[in-house]
Amino acid sequence: MNMLPGPAQAAAIGLSIAFPLLLLCYAHIPATGGSGRRFRLGCISIVVLYAVACIALPGQRQFDDVLGGLLLLGTAMMFCYILFSLLAWGFTLTLLTALVQAKHPLTLEQWAEAYMQGGDLGTFTHNRLKLLVGTGMVITAGGRLAPTATGVAVAHLAKLIRLSTGLG
Amino acid sequence: MSFAVGLVAVAVFALLAPTLQIMARARAWPLGPVTLLAIAALVSHGLGVALGIVSVPQFRYWDAASIFAFCVMAYVFAFGAVYKSVSLEILLGIVERTGRTAPLSEIMERQVPGLFQGRISILVDRGLVERANSGFVATAAGRNLAGRVGRLRRAFGIGDTSLYDFSN
Repeated sequence: MNMLPGPAQAAAIGLSIAFPLLLLCYAHIPATGGSGRRFRLGCISIVVLYAVACIALPGQRQFDDVLGGLLLLGTAMMFCYILFSLLAWGFTLTLLTALVQAKHPLTLEQWAEAYMQGGDLGTFTHNRLKLLVGTGMVITAGGRLAPTATGVAVAHLAKLIRLSTGLG
Repeated sequence: MSFAVGLVAVAVFALLAPTLQIMARARAWPLGPVTLLAIAALVSHGLGVALGIVSVPQFRYWDAASIFAFCVMAYVFAFGAVYKSVSLEILLGIVERTGRTAPLSEIMERQVPGLFQGRISILVDRGLVERANSGFVATAAGRNLAGRVGRLRRAFGIGDTSLYDFSN
């Protein structure tokens, strides 16, 4: 068994480790924008650096090596995205941080208000709906919501994933 | 051939992971879904490596590991997306209704508050939040977790609203 990664794979492993550090650096550069944009910028930077590494590294590139490296980079990006999105858009986690920041017991209504930082659950609902409407999954008309063909397809896909992953 | 061994391990994982989730629910195992995914990944990866050593004379570990890691992370990504997504819950709620349409007011006044209460129950069940008279207060474990989350958010320049930022 050969435990040593190829040159491109080694570069990908290094870049995967550097990825969260790059996101940390970007966080201190205001021009990189909001968290979502910053994450996309981080992904692009890492892919570009990988391409540069593949060209610059000495010796001839093997297809298996480059493919393996790309797969490792993709893994790192998905892993970081899962953690990053949990921090940035995690509902349950933000509920907890809002309660802790209040520093005193809160009723359900006060907690909802603290969570929305002065807003209400309506603001939160609109924010989530904006995502569904913006991605063309739901349309609104006359105060009612209806799924588009894309929305129905996504809902069916979600049910299929739930079933096949054992979530029921 | 090493990539093929990695794919065999992926197939083992795709069978083992949902089986563990279903068994855990049926037998009330005290293990969370993420822990079960980690167990399934470790077991299937170990089996894959053993298969590679036995069946492939020039087994390249990182070729097998790269495709395995990528596919497993894609699975975890899809799992996470359908596990507790508020947007998806709203979409599924609309699609599952008769006539596939819902008044916006009902989602704001019933479904989202229901999701809100469901997440609070999770925090209480996990010992991060406890009831205090008519309200809720964070436990020591909850305060510790919230402190760590706050530090990570500050380091990565992430806000603490959990709202999607559509400006970029």
